[in-house]
Amino acid sequence: MELLIWLIPLLPFIGFLLNVFVIRRERTAGLVASGMVAAAFVVTLIAVGVLASMPPEERRIVSTAWEWINTGSFQVPFAIMFDPLTAVMALLITGVGALIHVYSIGYMHGDPRVVRYFAYLNLFVTMMLFLVMANNLLLLFLGWEGVGLCSFLLIGFWFERKTAGEAAVKAFVVNRIGDAAFILAMLAIFTYFGTLNFYSEGEGGALGFLERVGDIAGLRVGPNWQPIFVSTAISFLLLIGATGKSAQFPLFVWLPDAMAGPTPVSALIHAATMVTGGVYLMARTEPLFVASFTTQGWVTWIGALTALMAGTAAMAQWDIKRVLAYSTVSQLGFMVAACGMGAYVAAIFHLLTHGIFKALLFLAAGSVIHGTHDTQDMRRMGGLKDAMPVTFRTYLIGALALAGIFPLAGFWSKDEILAHAVGHGHTPIFIILFITSLFTAFYMGRQVALIFFGTQRDPSYHPHESPQVMTVPLIVLAVGAIIGGAINLPVLHWLTDWLEPVLHEQAGEFNLWLALIATIGAVGMGYLGWWIYTTNAAKIKIGGKDPIYRYSGDIWEGMAEAWYLDRLYQRTVVAGFERLSDFLARVFDPQGVDGLVMGVGRFFGGLANSLRAVQTGYVRTYALVFTVGVLLVIGFMLWIAR
Amino acid sequence: MVPTSYYVLLSAILFTIGVLGVLLRRNAIVIFMAVELMLNAANLALVAFARERLGVEAQVIVFFVITVAAAEVAVGLALLVAIFRTKRTADVDEVSTLKG
Repeated sequence: MELLIWLIPLLPFIGFLLNVFVIRRERTAGLVASGMVAAAFVVTLIAVGVLASMPPEERRIVSTAWEWINTGSFQVPFAIMFDPLTAVMALLITGVGALIHVYSIGYMHGDPRVVRYFAYLNLFVTMMLFLVMANNLLLLFLGWEGVGLCSFLLIGFWFERKTAGEAAVKAFVVNRIGDAAFILAMLAIFTYFGTLNFYSEGEGGALGFLERVGDIAGLRVGPNWQPIFVSTAISFLLLIGATGKSAQFPLFVWLPDAMAGPTPVSALIHAATMVTGGVYLMARTEPLFVASFTTQGWVTWIGALTALMAGTAAMAQWDIKRVLAYSTVSQLGFMVAACGMGAYVAAIFHLLTHGIFKALLFLAAGSVIHGTHDTQDMRRMGGLKDAMPVTFRTYLIGALALAGIFPLAGFWSKDEILAHAVGHGHTPIFIILFITSLFTAFYMGRQVALIFFGTQRDPSYHPHESPQVMTVPLIVLAVGAIIGGAINLPVLHWLTDWLEPVLHEQAGEFNLWLALIATIGAVGMGYLGWWIYTTNAAKIKIGGKDPIYRYSGDIWEGMAEAWYLDRLYQRTVVAGFERLSDFLARVFDPQGVDGLVMGVGRFFGGLANSLRAVQTGYVRTYALVFTVGVLLVIGFMLWIAR
Repeated sequence: MVPTSYYVLLSAILFTIGVLGVLLRRNAIVIFMAVELMLNAANLALVAFARERLGVEAQVIVFFVITVAAAEVAVGLALLVAIFRTKRTADVDEVSTLKG
């Protein structure tokens, strides 16, 4: 069994090594990469089966490979584990990952660097699996940074485009802010618990810090006039780490730009898996978060605020992928808010269903982009439903699932979060999230209308349906988006029971009225979005303004710019850095550094110049110097050193 | 018997003439001859001391010096011929192309 769980991350890693060192042909690269991830999925299924056959309280397999770091009291094993929470995450990563690998074979066909692409993709899956399977924070951090690296490499995969390179750097730099907080959290945890392990390593081992959260109960840190609880400090630092990776306010600015990467990458990394790392982290370290009432408030409000900001931003985008990107940020906000309200199961549930239908939406969007010859501006689309029937139907299913229409996957998971908000008295949060869910339905209706309905506004291309290697993954994911909600239906609540050993949560009450209102609202808003953009289709011009702009005015501009957060950073942080860099490049480097180096060179050059005169080239001069030297030595020997 | 100090004095005079010859003359052949003068001044001193102390070691060294001097002259004259062929002169001051 221990060998089995090691196989899960190692299979994609083998695929990565093969793609880096052995494989040179596009076809083999795609097949090996997809095969390895699919094999990892099968192994995960078997592991889940084994896990399910164990008694619920013992469902945790821990395996240590070797002592990774062993310096005095700081000991970190290279240990992974497999428990119900890891299991569902690994299923999502390998399952959706395998489909996206297959889809990539079609989408990336003909690209000059396909082998490298699949190598990165395999490495990403490996790192993501280490992230969710790690049994200590440091190994989790290895996966955390590993997926960050792969994200950087894949966003900048088409580095010939300037925007892609800039977006990659932006994603990396913004994530660093969160990572710094993550490292501080690790230091704090080690200081107070003396270990970074989540759980004990097997029978009789020392307990991990998640099992000893009681140790820091009531401990305070900081100056006497303003002490804060240690649990608050640690969980708040972890929260900042999560806002970086999971693209939450105020660090979500990197995600929309990350859409410069290939579309399957957006589906896998920037929608389904990597960005859920922060939510996973909060669910994993749930005891720490629950111990701090203060942090939980911050978590809830950050999540809700992000959901609303990104939801409004998504409404005003023209780029097909940016709509989905802001939508992803918004849905991540839902998950984070759910974590903050203590509804961790609902958060994980939404994470899983969102992973499926957002991957579907991105892949279908990729199919649209593929079929329209790299068109991403929705103003240049329209009327594609006849040319791309499979893409249209699967997109519609994904959109309905995201909008939360009964009985698709998104309905159940979103409803669980909303029901929890109502049921536990988080009324302001509920209102924000409910409005955001209405917005969600609206922008999906708008997007479907803009892409698939009306007439084609840019006649310069001939749309065509994508090949089967791309449409089959779409159909599989569409089936998943339809039935995905079944894993945690209100009465059966399988997921809640499955996660009970980790998250210790009871199933929430199903709120029939809320479900009805939410569905009616979603249908109404979705229809409204569709209706506005089909009836006003004639007013949409390439490069022109949105039909609603006439009524909303400049608020629409603010939404399109995601409330100017990017510009705020540009003017405050980035501008300062640019000025500093400018000073360093134009003044400090030529005058300071070069001056020092050139000065040293010039000094010795001058010295050598004056010493040069000694070398006259006249043999007799040398002989004279030699003679005088001999006389001096003899004189020394005779009179001084006698 | 002539006292040893006489020999040593003669040796010193010869050596000084040799040094001055090397330092002051420009013709390479004359410089060589001056070098030989210095070597033989040293030989004279060695032989004089050997006679005084009734030993043979110094005399053996003299033979070595004569051998080395012969070899030195062979190499030196070969160099001199090579220089003369390129420069058409035996003046050492003309051969100063290695100046800094």
